[in-house]
Amino acid sequence: MTALRRLGSALFAPAIAVVFAVVITALVILLIGENPTTALRVLFDFGDSPAQQTQAIVVILNRAVPLFLAGLAVSVAFRMGLFNIGVEGQYRMATVLAAGAGAAVALPAPLHILLVIVVAMAVGALWAAIVAILKVTRGVSEVISSIMLNFIALGTASWLLTGPLRGSEEGAAIITTKDLPESGQFPGLNGLFDVIGLAQPRGELYGFLIVAVLVGIAISVLLKRTRFGFDLRATGLSPSAATASGIDARAMVVKTMLISGAIAGLIGLPDLMGRTHHFGTEFTAGLGFLGIAVALLGRNSPLGIAFAALLFAFLDRAAVPLQFADIPASVVTIIQGTIVLAVVIANEIARQITRRRAEGDSGQAGPPAPESPPGGPAGTAGSRIDEPQGAQS
Amino acid sequence: MTKTAALLLAGGLALSACASDEDGGDGGGSGGGSEGTLKVGVAYDTGGRGDKSFNDSAIAGVEAAVQALGGDVDEDIEELSPNEDDSNREELLTQLAENDFNPVIAVGFAYGDIIADIAADYPDTQFAIVDTSVEDLGVDNLTGLIFAEEEGSFLAGVAAASKSVTGHLGFVGGQQSPLIEKFEAGYVAGAKAVKPDIIVDVTYLSPAGDGSGFGDPEGGKVAAQGMYQAGADIVFHAAGGSGEGVFEAAVEAGQRAIGVDSDQYLSASPDQQAVIMTSMLKRVDLAVEEYLNSFADDSLESGTDILNDLSTEGVGLSESGGYIDDIQDVIADFRQQIIDGDVEVPTTP
Amino acid sequence: MAEGPAGAHAAAAGTGDAPYAVELRGITKRFPGVVANRDIELRVRRGEVHAIVGENGAGKSTLMKTLYGMHRPDEGTILLDGRETTLRSPADAIAAGIGMVHQHFMLADNFTVLENVVLGSEPTRGGRLDRAEARRRIREISQRYALNLDPDVLVEELGVGDRQRVEIAKVLYRGATTLILDEPTAVLVPQEVDELFGNLAELTREGLTVIFISHKLDEVRKVADSITVIRRGTTVGSADPRTTTARQLAEMMVGSELPSPQTRTSTVRETPVLELRGVTVASLGGRPAVDDVSLTVREGEVVGIAGVEGNGQAELVDAIMGLRPAEGVVVLGGEDISGWSTRARREAGVGFVPEDRHRQGMLLEAPLWENRILGHQTRPPAVKGPFIDRTAARADTERIMRDYDVRAPGPDTLAVALSGGNQQKLIVGREMSAAPRLLIAAHPTRGVDVGAQSAIWELLKDARAEGMGILLISADLDELIGLSDTLQVMLRGRLVATLDPSSLTPEELGGHMTGASDGAVGAL
Repeated sequence: MTALRRLGSALFAPAIAVVFAVVITALVILLIGENPTTALRVLFDFGDSPAQQTQAIVVILNRAVPLFLAGLAVSVAFRMGLFNIGVEGQYRMATVLAAGAGAAVALPAPLHILLVIVVAMAVGALWAAIVAILKVTRGVSEVISSIMLNFIALGTASWLLTGPLRGSEEGAAIITTKDLPESGQFPGLNGLFDVIGLAQPRGELYGFLIVAVLVGIAISVLLKRTRFGFDLRATGLSPSAATASGIDARAMVVKTMLISGAIAGLIGLPDLMGRTHHFGTEFTAGLGFLGIAVALLGRNSPLGIAFAALLFAFLDRAAVPLQFADIPASVVTIIQGTIVLAVVIANEIARQITRRRAEGDSGQAGPPAPESPPGGPAGTAGSRIDEPQGAQS
Repeated sequence: MTKTAALLLAGGLALSACASDEDGGDGGGSGGGSEGTLKVGVAYDTGGRGDKSFNDSAIAGVEAAVQALGGDVDEDIEELSPNEDDSNREELLTQLAENDFNPVIAVGFAYGDIIADIAADYPDTQFAIVDTSVEDLGVDNLTGLIFAEEEGSFLAGVAAASKSVTGHLGFVGGQQSPLIEKFEAGYVAGAKAVKPDIIVDVTYLSPAGDGSGFGDPEGGKVAAQGMYQAGADIVFHAAGGSGEGVFEAAVEAGQRAIGVDSDQYLSASPDQQAVIMTSMLKRVDLAVEEYLNSFADDSLESGTDILNDLSTEGVGLSESGGYIDDIQDVIADFRQQIIDGDVEVPTTP
Repeated sequence: MAEGPAGAHAAAAGTGDAPYAVELRGITKRFPGVVANRDIELRVRRGEVHAIVGENGAGKSTLMKTLYGMHRPDEGTILLDGRETTLRSPADAIAAGIGMVHQHFMLADNFTVLENVVLGSEPTRGGRLDRAEARRRIREISQRYALNLDPDVLVEELGVGDRQRVEIAKVLYRGATTLILDEPTAVLVPQEVDELFGNLAELTREGLTVIFISHKLDEVRKVADSITVIRRGTTVGSADPRTTTARQLAEMMVGSELPSPQTRTSTVRETPVLELRGVTVASLGGRPAVDDVSLTVREGEVVGIAGVEGNGQAELVDAIMGLRPAEGVVVLGGEDISGWSTRARREAGVGFVPEDRHRQGMLLEAPLWENRILGHQTRPPAVKGPFIDRTAARADTERIMRDYDVRAPGPDTLAVALSGGNQQKLIVGREMSAAPRLLIAAHPTRGVDVGAQSAIWELLKDARAEGMGILLISADLDELIGLSDTLQVMLRGRLVATLDPSSLTPEELGGHMTGASDGAVGAL
């Protein structure tokens, strides 16, 4: 099978899903009496001036970075069959504590940034480790425990914010932690626009984009090229075969959740280190759940998740201009929802097609999955105890 | 590694390329308003238009002002709602400013931490923000529309304590934030001013940083049920949509409740009208209308706050249903004392 | 019982120039990367039972799918009753009088026989199911072909044999004159097999034609009027069941002289590879699954564990592999490995061919080269430090495919695409590649075809000759007797007898396994 064909079949399902979602959304827009082509034009209209256009790109990329990290965190666990719903709580805890730690110390810039990142990853990992430990020692489903921990994270983060880590004045409408000092803020990437000759946008492109790309590459290498990644994927494909091959399933659960949680810890950092510089009541919540959708859309591969995050962010950007065109912003949510739903269905169909094709490949067209029942298609010479009629003639 | 980076970059370039291909840009503001009339941009709080509360109150004020000034409600007002996780608030304000809407009104304190920067970036546009003080920010083209919620809540507390038979009251807050704590502080102070030994149960439906407490009728109902069972006979809610649950609990318990922001008696079902004793009014509509009028006749002093309190009738108590008619003199008495400064109402519990 | 009428029929229908009920000429079917069927020639007379035999993966299923309209051949023609026919879908095939009885039944348990039979072709009267008419026709079919079906019984109450007859009735109800039965005896017990053959005789007596797919040669010889053999995707000849032995048929299928499991001279050396001392595996409540088992496997020795399934063999294997907590001592080459992890045991030189290859031996949705790595994640050539060496893994997979005759397009093929025999050969090849000291082979030839079976036997024999110790767990008594140097019989978790396979018949061994000759200790 050529690489091109494999790529083709990998892109086929998402492409169909996107087309399907666009059709559904167009119908919805028609139904509410607006013009679908207007909506489509708005999606691709990045504004008149060069600065507006680069600004649109910044908005998309800045939104895509946390979405990508969230999708990645979910996908790592998902690759080995764990459903980490707790990403939401993990990044909330990580962000509040990283904000608190970052504001509490004074360090030279690179070290300070590193400290914030390390604290966030460690907290995310530890929060996820609770789920893992409950699973391997007590057999608690990770879905249940991580949902519970999301609630606990919400309350704990709120207590930390209003109590020990409070930085805003009494009575201020928005409660925040203390601001990160300059040395703990991640520099933006707007210099890049000068380099490639684009106009300077109003906003700042998150420097954390680079971290996200590096993490994506690292995870991609980890999953595809390392022994550990092999163990992880093997466990996801068949826990019983993985165990028989010598993989310690319990250790894998813990390690995988630690990695997933560590990545989750990064989700809140682009905003924290690039824009708000504090954790507060206006913290962007819900990215952990969006991450599930992004991971599904990206079929759990880092590159796919990058595309999925960009697509979601691209659609999210249109939420404001759509309202200018008198089309409700919820159209964006409808498109995103239908894409994910369609992708789930399309993936399943595509999987069946590739599997069928694979079966065709070796000329073994029959369904091989249900192996012969005991005493089934045996050799001629077999005289099995459970097949007494098969005596040699 | 370089491959992925190149892809990202290429993606970005491709996107910008299609952007430049587009010439029209007529997805932008309709720009139909004739010279001289107002073109008002409104950025809503979570929930957007149709929340029967805060946002609706704000837009009512905008529409009233625009109509009074001879403008067209459809043409001259642009309303934008934030997305579900509120992550694009900044975009709402900048887009409104970029599309030449002036003034731009941000509904809700959630815009508080970004609006100063944006206002500074667009010095020719006037900005206003509801529920946030801007006096210390030093931005000339920004006005804070703030309310003395504690004063109105104080009167609610006075009314509740005067009417309570059991000497036991309840307060259900949406989110435990400084804003809602002002309601609590005023309410408790008002109640104690009437009956110093009165008990007030206080519950918040969600902690700081979690807005779910404003949209959780079930949680509101459970909280209020607990209070009624513990002996409370009047519960005041400052919990947005969750208040619906408080009213239900009141109907079931045969006790009373106090609404918030608008006169909730008017929008309630008949059986709930029987229990909504009064509502603590917070006239966002009036505040916005006033602001727009002063903008239109150039009397606006921006860079400062406009305080709406009892004296401006920006806050107060509703009288629909006539449940508090018999204690109007008590209420009027306290109102006057507050306006005169004889009674200091606390803003934190 | 099947011979008489069927044979007579074959003679009657085979004479003269009457057109064949089914004739395939030069059928070729290609899938990407592989030719599944090549120049298939098949001639089936009306009113006969025609068997198609071949190894797993030889192309029988592809051929039957062609005939049932599930895909179209790339070349060649299909003639039904002498007329050239194009079958675009199973519906076309049904309309042409061809019916298929699948190996895996497709019946709804909570429906009655009647409902299952008419499902999809319901007789209606005024839009409602005409039960009376359906019942009448099913009774008629049942009577005519002695299917003995009660239309109003729920399918869930029926045994396997009855269910199969429901499937047959379903096909007949749709007016089939040619029935394809895909491995129909695979799910039946001997008595049911005889009943089925009786039914087939009834069918052919009424002039219907039966195409019978199997690789159980004894059965084929019993029931078929004529036989076509398929090997590697093409028809290699036909045989007359009355004059051909099972062994000759098997040789046609494999294309070479058939090996026997018999081992050559003893290669047993002194050094023990594996010693078990008092190994006990607890089970949930009651008797331990493995009860105080002690045994020794020496270099160059095959120790066979015989026993009716479920007597603790699987648990014993798990205990040796470290997959299940156990008491007692496991010694590998002089080192106590009782507390070691599965991975450490594998690294120390234990190879493992698991009983259920889909559950424990393979990643079905992963390519072959990744399956090459499975169980060998810490060892070269597929792994370099913490990294996977994809090039080396692919290359070594190609080597295994070559050396162990694994038939697949390439190392990137998904494991699920391989036939059971080829999967098993890949597993055996993989385990052998690490040159283990000890091989745990649990049912190594279960569910594989003759060719793969003999290949695997040869591999085990070669490994033994090179000094590998092998613990062989099997239900195939010939395999056990033929390969083992020592036989242990396992009954209710205990080793109850040690037997010398050189002086043992399968019948004697069977007696020990069921406890009939309890306490008997063979001469060693």
